[in-house]
Amino acid sequence: MQFLISGIIMGVLYCLMSLGVNFIYGIMKVINWAIGEFFMIGAYVQYLLIVTVLGTRYWYIGVFIVAFCTFFLGAFVQKILIKPMFVGMVEEKTEYATIVTIAMAILFRNLAIFIGGPYIYTPPDYAPPTHIGPLPLSGNNFIAFIGTIVILALFFYFLKRTWIGKAFQAVSQNRAGVLTAGIDVLKFDMIAFGIGTALAGAGGALLAPVILVYPLCGVIPTVRGFEIIVIGGLGSIPGVFAAGLSIGIAESLGAAFINPSFVDIYGFGLLMLILLIKPYGLFGKPERSV
Amino acid sequence: MLKHKLKYSGLFLPLLIALILPLYLTDYWIYALTLTFYYVIMAVTWNLLGGYTGQFSLSHHTFAMIGSYISALLIIKTGIPLWMGMASSWIFNAFISVLLGILCLRMRGIYLALTTWAFAEIVKTYIRMDFEFTGGDRGLNAPLFFKTMNPIPYYYLFLAFAVLTIIVIAIIMRSRIGYYLRTIRNDEVAAQAMGVNTVRWKVFAFMVASVFASVAGTLYGHFTGLISPVSGDFYEMSLIIIFVVIGGMRSQAGPVVGAISVRFLAEVLKKWPEIRMIILALVVILIMRFFNGGVMEFLRQGVQRIRQRKGRTPVSGLQKMEPRQR
Repeated sequence: MQFLISGIIMGVLYCLMSLGVNFIYGIMKVINWAIGEFFMIGAYVQYLLIVTVLGTRYWYIGVFIVAFCTFFLGAFVQKILIKPMFVGMVEEKTEYATIVTIAMAILFRNLAIFIGGPYIYTPPDYAPPTHIGPLPLSGNNFIAFIGTIVILALFFYFLKRTWIGKAFQAVSQNRAGVLTAGIDVLKFDMIAFGIGTALAGAGGALLAPVILVYPLCGVIPTVRGFEIIVIGGLGSIPGVFAAGLSIGIAESLGAAFINPSFVDIYGFGLLMLILLIKPYGLFGKPERSV
Repeated sequence: MLKHKLKYSGLFLPLLIALILPLYLTDYWIYALTLTFYYVIMAVTWNLLGGYTGQFSLSHHTFAMIGSYISALLIIKTGIPLWMGMASSWIFNAFISVLLGILCLRMRGIYLALTTWAFAEIVKTYIRMDFEFTGGDRGLNAPLFFKTMNPIPYYYLFLAFAVLTIIVIAIIMRSRIGYYLRTIRNDEVAAQAMGVNTVRWKVFAFMVASVFASVAGTLYGHFTGLISPVSGDFYEMSLIIIFVVIGGMRSQAGPVVGAISVRFLAEVLKKWPEIRMIILALVVILIMRFFNGGVMEFLRQGVQRIRQRKGRTPVSGLQKMEPRQR
């Protein structure tokens, strides 16, 4: 039971990462390989804010500021690098997007090392240790869990209830059709990219005390994020939750009953199994080729 | 006639230079060049997969690492001769890559990229964690090829394997299979409609690339004598992509030129590793954004322009054969 709860908590945290990637993929059919670096930037900015301006007590304000900053960074990157894909300047879209975002990841990592040095920064704890039922839980994990749920709820409210959110759903269904309905697709692409990176940045800010802040701190969450996407199905948002929870549970059960040092492998095993049974993921559909 | 002569001299002149170069260099530069040949093998084979076939494997470096580990572990634990360890690790890599390929190449290429990225990180973590078996972060002492510290025999060995790899890839790309692979990149649905078994040839390309990666990996392991999980870092993969993109994707000489020139630059800028990577990443982004073709395409266009100015008709490109997409 304890393992189940801790698995669910970790699963929800992983969801935040893959949601950003999957949202961007749903809108633009582009995988953002640099999402882990936005996570890292979020963690750095949060650390900077807490240490210099805000102090530990107001960490939640920091999360919002970080989300705001990463939103603009993401939108800017999209405007100068990803947008040319859609105005007819690039032949091979997947190839272009993959290489450019990977190069971006390298760029951000090395900038982080260059500016901040290869050190590990430890932000102060957000909250003291607590209990959920019988399970002792570090305050940081608990805060991250609650924060993630709040962010996810806001995101879903935005997506399902507001006009812009509905427009996003429409864009992900049919880009050409949406154009005829008077929606500026290119502008929505930019906002979508910004939202995706803002989700990752907020995730970085929330998890900063758990994962700690260093140039490569985005890698492990990103790997989980991509595993979740493949398991849940590309571009499917319910799939993200199912897959996130199942990976979290598989990892904590595996750690409890088999061997705790190989935590990272169980998720990949699950991925292989799902690919064998359902090649397009739990909720994914075979893509239509135009 | 003259064109043929030029073409062959273009092929043999670099080889000749590479053959006599060790006589004039210090040990350090011979060592650096040997490492460069390792990267040449990696870049050329990744170009087959990522460039020609359009399937992005992000675990090319991992196959090299698996190769070096399997070979070294087999030799250390069971005491078989060196060539047997290497061969068995190649066979093992072929097996793994076919398995991975069959699982995720049934879908669009992006699934391969996602899965191999996860695979790369997982394998690295496994090797770091299972330290009783693999040596963990401390690394593993691999047996050496030659019982000497002189780098010259290694230099020729790596050169031979690099040339062999280039020849094999060139043969593949000039055969019927090469055309299959190019069609798969340009339009997979059309390829299927023409009766190309796309899944089979994608898996084939993945397997060839991975096996050559493990060849390079085993060579590297038995050359440096120390293998560690660092060689499974994503940094290595990004280097391979940088070589291929800067040299020119989808050209046979591109990855070679890219690997050699970028490695040279890297040796010069050795003191500032972060700045080096920042510059390289920026160059890659700029190339992809403004000039999709790298150094080789640049050279080709330059040659064409000179020919046009002389009033001759432009010679059709030697490498660029594939049509523009849609």
